[in-house]
Amino acid sequence: MSSKINHHQKINGQNFPQPCPHLADFRARHGSKPFRAIQECLRVKPPGGRAAIRRDPSEVPRCGACGDASRPRLYACMACAAVSCHAPPHSSHVAMHATSTCNPPGHEIAVDVDRAELFCCACRDQVYDCDFDAAVVLAHTTSIIQSSKPENLRKRRRIDYRPWSPDLRERALMVSNASPIDSSSATNGDLPRGLRGLNNLGNTCFMNSVLQALFHTPPLRNYFLSDRHNRYYCQSKNGVKMCLACDMDAMFSAVFSGDRTPYSPAKFLHSWWQHAANLASYEQQDAHEFFISMLDGIHEKVEKDQRKPRNQGNGDCCIAHRVFSGILRSDVMCMACGFTSTTYDPCVDFSLDLEPNQGGSTKTASTKSNHSCNGEADSMNSSQNYGTSTLMGCLDRFTRAERLGSDQKFFCQQCQVRQESLKQMSIRKLPLVSCFHIKRFEHSSVRKMSRKVDRYLQFPFSLDMAPYLSSSILRGRFGNRIFPFDGAESDALNEPSSEFELFAVVTHTGKLDAGHYVTYLRLSNQWYKCDDAWITQVNESIVRAAQGYMMFYVQKMFYYRASERQVTS
Amino acid sequence: MSLPNDDNMSPHAQLSSHFFGDLLDSIIVDVASECHRIARLGLDRNLEEEEEELRLSAQARARVADSSSNGETNSKYVVDIFGQTHPPVANEIFDCMNCGRSIVAGRFAPHLEKCMGKGRKARLKATRSSTAAQNRYARGSPGSTYSAYSNSTSVNRMSNGASGVAGEEYSNGSFEEL
Repeated sequence: MSSKINHHQKINGQNFPQPCPHLADFRARHGSKPFRAIQECLRVKPPGGRAAIRRDPSEVPRCGACGDASRPRLYACMACAAVSCHAPPHSSHVAMHATSTCNPPGHEIAVDVDRAELFCCACRDQVYDCDFDAAVVLAHTTSIIQSSKPENLRKRRRIDYRPWSPDLRERALMVSNASPIDSSSATNGDLPRGLRGLNNLGNTCFMNSVLQALFHTPPLRNYFLSDRHNRYYCQSKNGVKMCLACDMDAMFSAVFSGDRTPYSPAKFLHSWWQHAANLASYEQQDAHEFFISMLDGIHEKVEKDQRKPRNQGNGDCCIAHRVFSGILRSDVMCMACGFTSTTYDPCVDFSLDLEPNQGGSTKTASTKSNHSCNGEADSMNSSQNYGTSTLMGCLDRFTRAERLGSDQKFFCQQCQVRQESLKQMSIRKLPLVSCFHIKRFEHSSVRKMSRKVDRYLQFPFSLDMAPYLSSSILRGRFGNRIFPFDGAESDALNEPSSEFELFAVVTHTGKLDAGHYVTYLRLSNQWYKCDDAWITQVNESIVRAAQGYMMFYVQKMFYYRASERQVTS
Repeated sequence: MSLPNDDNMSPHAQLSSHFFGDLLDSIIVDVASECHRIARLGLDRNLEEEEEELRLSAQARARVADSSSNGETNSKYVVDIFGQTHPPVANEIFDCMNCGRSIVAGRFAPHLEKCMGKGRKARLKATRSSTAAQNRYARGSPGSTYSAYSNSTSVNRMSNGASGVAGEEYSNGSFEEL
């Protein structure tokens, strides 16, 4: 195929190559009618498979020139429907057809009968047209009936970031009601604010490690430091009742106060144990479980105060969900008829399995199935059996099309019986902060034992979540056609906020019941190790080589804004 | 695998070889066509960046492995970045917000556990007094009751906080307010 460099144009918000002169000419001559008309000839089978062109379902296409039906590439001319073969370098009857003096000009554009792809015989290259793709997608979707519950996703109007500075009145108000932090002392000088050790109160490193990550979660930090939950006001309004958000507020104040002696989160521990009665005990616990419990505690308290319940997926209910909540999409497709059932669920983090076998995940990312499903769920993934486990490999696994076993048949609404199905997860809406939890602790109720998986997992410092979005997954399912899909209102290519930056890593070393949690924080592109009361500086290699248990990524636009200002980082 | 040449193959083998060749060609075109589409429409993932991250991680691991074999890493802390040192058990003293007593920070959690009436030992203590009273007339020795109870709690407790079975331990009414 020729390697022409095409200039791109934006169609439906996506990069789309400019048509070659022959395709442009064809469109000028015929419009988009021939592409739409071809819809009647598009056959998709099996459900989820590739679209092919057949005038009638049992047609066997043959080359009009040589009668061959077995060539890998057979093309039907878009102008006169003549089928010809293309077998470079030996022969190309389709090229002959295009240049033949018997035909008027305009026979250069043909369509691959087995792959439903446009081909320009003059350029000898595959070409693309959005009306043609739209017709193919329609053929796919009429054969695969979709059903999706209406989403309650309120469309948020995007507004530009406007930096704020206090005016004179506000400045006077701030000065009279606040006490400045002493930033001149040697211990404060160049070191980032908010860096402060946390005393271990007795096996509480699981709590300290998560708290350190939260203190430096940009949207959460900004929320509390801009006084959005004022603990004095909250307590005066609601009495001195247990409020985890108030305790968070107190801790943020303490940690960012400029005092560098280690802080004891005793009051917080007391409040949290009142909230999570079942976890209240002096023994080592799971940091991830604490994280979930804490978010839940903040949510519960805030929701009680509001008159009507808010949509958790939107993050309207409380700051915990505003920061961490995303929406997952789950598609279950009947393998007999193609009927697909879609559901949406909110999530506050991503819990990922490590591969079951040693080195059972991808070494490089290149084999991720952007390719169409073709009903073959496992074909792409079975070939990757060597190399290190990676976070992106875990995400590939999380979003792969999974054949549900015959013991897990889903009831198909169209077939009205239980059928074998294909299930696929994808991310409908990314959270502001993505927390990836690696399931390193295996509890087997069967064998009545637990074990820890120590295997190293590679994780990037910069992460692009675009391939895991619902729009990308759906597009891949339909052969990567250009078409705005339902549930893809903000396309992956257009959406700038699928790029994330790592800012905190919680690691666990040691055994299941006798281990230690430590957090690495990235502030102003410098890494710090937070080991209970001890804050030390480390090289980024230490972090890259560490055994990640929870990794915290923030959307890049927050990260850039945060790291621009060196002082407040 | 060397390709058999047509001369010394039976017609049957030639035919199968021909079909195999056609199938293989067709599959190759499938992949080429899909990749072409992905590349031309700009849908390919940023493989250079991903591979760069992999390379950096591999490099980092090698570096860390080297320095640990030299005995550089995992040494005990001398001072933190603020120039401070800290004892193994945190020695800040403050008042317990539950009972008001002065507690050392590093021992606060075990204290609070008993103070709030939570945790295994505290619950056992409470249970002991109530079941002992119940069993005083049923059986002679309260000892068997304790051991049965403590066995069930230790099996169900995972030190990483699997809390699913914790509910059963709250049959004692005094904790229900929480």
